[in-house]
Amino acid sequence: MAMPTAASQTRIDLINLRKKLSLAQRGKDLLQEKMDALAIEFFNMARGVSRLRREAMKKLAEAHASLSACLGLKGTIETMQSVRETKKDFEIEISSRIVMGVEVPQVTVMAGERSVAESGYGIYTTGPITDRVAGEFREALRLLCELAGLESSLRMIARELERTRRRVNALEHVTIPETKVKIKMIEMKLDEIERDNFVRLKGMKTLRERRG
Amino acid sequence: MRRDIFELELERLNLHLPKRRISLGEALRAERPCVVTRSGKIHTFDRRELEMLVGLLEGDEVERLMLPILIEINPALGRGAARIPGNLEAKVVGKILKKREGETIIYRPEIAELRRKLPTTTCYVFLGGGR
Repeated sequence: MAMPTAASQTRIDLINLRKKLSLAQRGKDLLQEKMDALAIEFFNMARGVSRLRREAMKKLAEAHASLSACLGLKGTIETMQSVRETKKDFEIEISSRIVMGVEVPQVTVMAGERSVAESGYGIYTTGPITDRVAGEFREALRLLCELAGLESSLRMIARELERTRRRVNALEHVTIPETKVKIKMIEMKLDEIERDNFVRLKGMKTLRERRG
Repeated sequence: MRRDIFELELERLNLHLPKRRISLGEALRAERPCVVTRSGKIHTFDRRELEMLVGLLEGDEVERLMLPILIEINPALGRGAARIPGNLEAKVVGKILKKREGETIIYRPEIAELRRKLPTTTCYVFLGGGR
């Protein structure tokens, strides 16, 4: 721990150090509040990620089961042909929102439900099972896009949380105790100087009285 | 050197606040409802949240509710407590959290619930730090 040098043990240094201590304590309180707020955001997002992941996995499993059924019912060639013919229009909008100074992505899927006619594949070689596969994969893709956005936000918030925690720890365990020690040392030194002066003045007074 | 970093950190705390807040009505009319933050970034509001807020308001309140709704964090209130400034804002938050009318102080579990329901239309503001 760096100790104040003899040259820096003056009353003005004491005032400056007291200001620094007050700022550090205020900063610690505020950063702790920020950390709490980030933790709230983190857990809210983590819950969302977990829910979305569960839903996406469920939907993907359903879509794959439907695809297997479709391959069995319609045949591989017809199904693959329908896949090639399906319109690949899937519109998503990526905007940003700011969470405690962290810019996180906000993914909005614009693509909604679409009718069989809008899907692009021929209606003579396909059937309801093909429509179901298309719909389920589309829904799974929507969930995956939202999941990607939320997971990326979660990682960003976690990084900011870690950074804030480091700052709070540095203030709590290094800056504040270090400053308190410095203040104590300067106070002791100034008290010592004051006592010295007092004794010297007392001595001078006694000397003057003796002389006359 | 360290002192400078912390001062900078305190000044950075409120950079996510908007330069200018907009009313709910203004946000609904905009093609892309958003505000510009003090750091110059774009903060977009979710339209579903705006519609949810409209459902909670009556008459001209839509034009008077300013967005984002601020959640004032002040260490003087105690750790984990926050205040909702503005009567209308407090009323809306009260309806969302099912609180008694007139209560402007909310606590950590309520903050979490509020942020879960309104992640884009609310934002934190830190008081008592920076210059």
